[in-house]
Amino acid sequence: MSVCQKTLPVTGADTPQPGYRVLWIEDHELAARCVPGMFFELKADRRDQANRLYKPISVYQVREGRIAFMVKEVGEGSKALCSLQPGEGVRLIGPLGNAFPLLNVQNILLVSGGVGYPPLAYLKNCLPPSSRVIHLHGGASAKDIFPCDIVCTEDGSAGSKGRVTDLVPSVIAENRIQLVYSCGPQPMLKALTRMVEGIPHFVSLEAYMACGIGVCYGCSVPVGNEFKRVCKDGPVFNAADIAWEKL
Amino acid sequence: MSSSKSKLGKLDFDPPVTVASGTFGTEYFDFFDQRWLGAYVSKTVTFEPKAGNPVPRLYETEAGLLNAIGLQNPGLKGFIGDELPRLRGQLQIPLIVSFSGSTPTEFCQMLECLEKQPGIAGYEVNVSCPNVEKEGLPFGIDPDVVFNLTRELSKLTEKELTVKLSPNVSSIEQVAQAAEAGGATSLALINTLWGMAVDWRTGKSRIGRKVCGYSGIGVKPVALALTYKAAQAVKIPILAMGGIHTWRDALEFFFAGASVVAVGTAMFSNSQAVVELVQGLNGYLEEHNLRLKDIIGKVN
Repeated sequence: MSVCQKTLPVTGADTPQPGYRVLWIEDHELAARCVPGMFFELKADRRDQANRLYKPISVYQVREGRIAFMVKEVGEGSKALCSLQPGEGVRLIGPLGNAFPLLNVQNILLVSGGVGYPPLAYLKNCLPPSSRVIHLHGGASAKDIFPCDIVCTEDGSAGSKGRVTDLVPSVIAENRIQLVYSCGPQPMLKALTRMVEGIPHFVSLEAYMACGIGVCYGCSVPVGNEFKRVCKDGPVFNAADIAWEKL
Repeated sequence: MSSSKSKLGKLDFDPPVTVASGTFGTEYFDFFDQRWLGAYVSKTVTFEPKAGNPVPRLYETEAGLLNAIGLQNPGLKGFIGDELPRLRGQLQIPLIVSFSGSTPTEFCQMLECLEKQPGIAGYEVNVSCPNVEKEGLPFGIDPDVVFNLTRELSKLTEKELTVKLSPNVSSIEQVAQAAEAGGATSLALINTLWGMAVDWRTGKSRIGRKVCGYSGIGVKPVALALTYKAAQAVKIPILAMGGIHTWRDALEFFFAGASVVAVGTAMFSNSQAVVELVQGLNGYLEEHNLRLKDIIGKVN
């Protein structure tokens, strides 16, 4: 199916934490095509952003023809997105990328770090009710924390103190985890991949992108002996396939 | 006849706009009709498949984009087996194949091979990618090598043969004249400038390869000056690119001596850039009752 490119008004916006913004748009056709793992290229429809790149942002929630994105303020482009108010325009390209594969298992662990939270929150809503899902989320401090099951922060300001991966071995052992989904900074994903070896593990990778549609090969990551595009071949990969040592 | 019709050597261009190799794919035709382009330029194909450069490969600067893709491509066999048939099936506009070899012999072998393939209107000889160790660079900066290479290649084809030049040279005039003397039927310029960015907090390079290619809005004045200099030095037409985002940018390049312009990095920030450029250019020419050929090279 072809990728859409359009400018839509922001229909709702809120600030769940300082430095983060949730933006809602309404488009029934696009919403119907979203599945967990997918992302859009977004940019603020403002003159000063005209020559700036779009930013790849995961789908966070889909509800009754509306799509939400959670954006973290990092650079100029995301800063402009975070400042958008309802009624202002957002330019988008999407939906893009593949999806988290869904396996028929009982005990599922979601591990997110920082702005890796949104795609896993969306996934959690779409997993079968019969599954037992534990969402483990970590951030630098309390302002990087969002609703989940187990929290940890590097400065100890919310949940347990430490890195999110510190909690993984005990959670796995106590809950007979059969499947892991993750999204977050690469060092976290790399460490997690080692820890959960032997358990099916799918990661959603973050990457700097230019085109977002598979043209430029700028977002490529090493997979085996070749490079795969995060935008087109991913963003979801089998963690075991990534050549983490080359990242 | 459209007032913006132009010619690049043996190829008619209507509209006089194409895309910069490596920045474009048929995926963009989801967003606009391909007839807004006068021709399609492929990503550069190399003899052997190339995995490309280590990551990270991209960084957006204050004014333009850094990249170190490293010509990731499936190699000539993969191109001829998969990509070329797909392009032939999809394109209704002329196809220019961009290619690069690691030796003059390899360039010639590649061209001989491509000449046997139907559906190719012309070639862009990439002697100027800054992101590969062996391909291109030693060729693109030495006028004698460019002359000898172009002379050999021009014996092998009757089609359009455009030589893509690097801006990272001390005299663009000498390299341009060398390509013309060797039999190039047009020139394409500029490839990316050298660029670099460092995270000032950590001292870490933003790009895996450290020094890489710089394109986009910030390179426009450089590209314009090199287009002008090259146009002054040769009689063959010029396909100009480098920071062109709007029809106003394109007009500057036409005035400086370009016969055709290409949009590259601008596609990443505006997938309608080509359409808006052509509409704006046609509007300008109509409003001033001009034909494109009336303004090419007429900077004053």
